Amino acid sequence: MGLKEILEHHIVDHIWSWLYFGPLKLPVSKHLLMMGLASLILLVALPLLIRSRSAALAPFRAMLEMVVLFLRDEVVVPNLGRKGAAYLGYFSTLFFFILTMNLLGMVPFGATATGNLAVTAGLAATTFLLINFAGIKEQGLFSYLAHIVPKGVPAWLYPLLFPMELIGLVIKAFALCIRLFANMIAGHIVILSFIGFIFIFGSINAALGLGVAPVSVLLVLFILLLELFVAFLQAYIFTFLTAIFTGAAMHPH
Amino acid sequence: MEALIKPELGLTIWTIVCFVLLVLLLSKTAWKPLLQAVAERERAIKNDRESAETARAEAEKVKAELDARLAQLRTEIQARMGEALQTAEREKELLLTEARKSAASIVEFARKEIEAQKLEAVRELKNKVAELSLLTAEKVLMKNLDHRANTELSARYLAQVEKERPDLKMSA
Repeated sequence: MGLKEILEHHIVDHIWSWLYFGPLKLPVSKHLLMMGLASLILLVALPLLIRSRSAALAPFRAMLEMVVLFLRDEVVVPNLGRKGAAYLGYFSTLFFFILTMNLLGMVPFGATATGNLAVTAGLAATTFLLINFAGIKEQGLFSYLAHIVPKGVPAWLYPLLFPMELIGLVIKAFALCIRLFANMIAGHIVILSFIGFIFIFGSINAALGLGVAPVSVLLVLFILLLELFVAFLQAYIFTFLTAIFTGAAMHPH
Repeated sequence: MEALIKPELGLTIWTIVCFVLLVLLLSKTAWKPLLQAVAERERAIKNDRESAETARAEAEKVKAELDARLAQLRTEIQARMGEALQTAEREKELLLTEARKSAASIVEFARKEIEAQKLEAVRELKNKVAELSLLTAEKVLMKNLDHRANTELSARYLAQVEKERPDLKMSA
């Protein structure tokens, strides 16, 4: 089994079967399972945690509360303004959904659903819809379209800038999609490469392979910790950038 | 490896459906109660702080009032004490002058009394002496009717008597 197969096995989605809804052909795959698992965890754990009065769970409740309040006070409200607090549910869900999927990728037998371009594309698509929905709701359709081009631009540049800004809107969402995907998958690839080193050197000389092994394992450990950090960081960045883009669409100054 | 970068559209649809449902469900079941709890706590904290602040303001007001009262009382006490001292001083003066005056009047009265007594005594003595002299003169006259010689004699005797007993002197 070459490195290619190993990589594909660990990183690429496994489609087990297909579901057909009229013209739609929906896959049933490992990443979908992980996504469902993440949703289930959130749907069960969060309400229970919030409603529970047990003292043992109090620290977790406090952590959850701190995260949500941080999102509200540092991410949503500064970018979207006072009215933006209504969108807090979206941002909190986005953060915890991405975070849970990221973390599930680090559990044995788990897979990183956010390391799949289709999944991040789905998240980016909802963000794209949210940006436009919030912008249109706040300013009205006509005003929103008129403000897509920044203020102070000479009139003759409008025909050039308007399509560019429209494309820019799509690119923002596209960048979100690629950023999350690349970040989540990169760690896995690096880890697999480090483990691959052991076998590459081992095929040259067994002793060499054994010598490389401790170094590789240490490096893998380091990357794993880094991935743990990145799991939180990318969830935060995705949420934060979504807030910035939504805020920019709501208040075009 | 192209499977890595070839997005499966079906999974995108799954993601969107899943995420939107999650947003709707979690907004109801998780975020709303969480924010409600937070808002409740924030309100409770705000209430507590407000009541504490009003209590403090109240206490400060009471303290200021008490201080003012204390200062007022202090000045009042000082004024009263000054007044009392003045009154005492005046009273003392009054008593002293009164005492002096009454002492003087008592002395005066005593002196007048003495004078009157003395005059009375003198008058009585004079009367007695005159009577005595008359009686003596009568006796002398009986014996010696030479009036002129007798008068001279009596005058001489009288002078003699006065000289011998100055306390009977009538020109007092």
